[in-house]
Amino acid sequence: MLSGIGAIEQPSALDRALSADTALILAARSGDVKAFEQIYRAHIGRVLGICLRMTHRRDVAEDCAQLTFVRAWRNLGAFEGRSAFGTWLHRIAVNEVLTYTRNHGTRLEAETQGLDDAHLDTEAAQGAMPAPGTVDAGEVMDMERALATLPEGSRHVVVLQAIYGYSHEEVAEMLGIAVGTCKAQLHRGRRMLRERLGLGEFEP
Amino acid sequence: MNQRLRDPLDRALGSLPTEVAPEKDLWAQIEAQISASPPIHQREHRVDVVPRRHFNVSSRWLQMAAAVLLIAGSSFTTWVIVQRSANERVMRAQQFTVQQMQPVLNAMPASFGGADALGADYQKARAALCDEFDRRVAKLPPVTRARLERDLADLRRAANHVAATLGQHPGDPLLQQLLLSTYQSELALLGSLNDVSTPETVGVDL
Repeated sequence: MLSGIGAIEQPSALDRALSADTALILAARSGDVKAFEQIYRAHIGRVLGICLRMTHRRDVAEDCAQLTFVRAWRNLGAFEGRSAFGTWLHRIAVNEVLTYTRNHGTRLEAETQGLDDAHLDTEAAQGAMPAPGTVDAGEVMDMERALATLPEGSRHVVVLQAIYGYSHEEVAEMLGIAVGTCKAQLHRGRRMLRERLGLGEFEP
Repeated sequence: MNQRLRDPLDRALGSLPTEVAPEKDLWAQIEAQISASPPIHQREHRVDVVPRRHFNVSSRWLQMAAAVLLIAGSSFTTWVIVQRSANERVMRAQQFTVQQMQPVLNAMPASFGGADALGADYQKARAALCDEFDRRVAKLPPVTRARLERDLADLRRAANHVAATLGQHPGDPLLQQLLLSTYQSELALLGSLNDVSTPETVGVDL
């Protein structure tokens, strides 16, 4: 019983983060720009990561990320808390990228320099070499370049599912495609990545 | 270690950083855009009274205007349909009258109105009747002769008027019938004197 009371009195880190997020969202909904700036600071990294990997152009990705937060601010009243706020934000970001792609042609000129720089910046900021058993920076950059060469449909699915961990259903809803199409695109993208990185078919 | 972590592809994908820092801080531009427009639910809250009432009034006026337009439109459509059907009835009646008169007109091929000549048989019979009429009327007393000649002149003047009018309205069945009746009256007048004065008559097939 005491432990139960203790659990209520000492919420987990996730609960604290969620309640902090909720408090910020409520404040922002009432017009508090400072609260929304904290939301922006907490989420811009992942939002920009999604946009940059989907577009592979830093200028376009930053435009899409900026529009994502402007649209999120204007539609804060529509956020009902059914999904995590981050997921809601990422849906808006994906929608911005798809809108940009529709308006400016289906093919964006691939540019991996922005991502390479981002990796170098991250390494420098961390000031540490990759831990043993993990992939090094060179392999990461190779992966980014291989991702950039994927067809758009496959790249979007691989980014959202394999990197950001969304389910087939969530990715299909975000991209406005069927779940079967999503699975097929993922399979195709993974096969092409293996070919381009020289990785053989994995056999457990 | 599960299967995903042992697959080198999954390991490489999983090692990619999920967060990318922007080269420049985007917040200043975002703040400039959002400060001009509060969140939607807050905007609704702020403009709760006056603008909404104004909107409702405008909406009511718009509804009334739409209703008036709808009624006017449907009335005009009904009027057009009724007028068109009335015109069609008149046209059908005229066609029917002409069709009914067609045997008579064919029997006496006279052209009504305008400068068209009457049928040759009719002209011949009419000329013969006129000659006989002139010959016989000359023998009548002056009072009787004047009355007959005045009646004949009236008929011919009437026929000329009707023919002139028919020239302006060639399809009018009533004018056609009136002109036909006038010609018949003229022939009847010419023949009446012939019947009374002499035993032999001039046969005119009308």
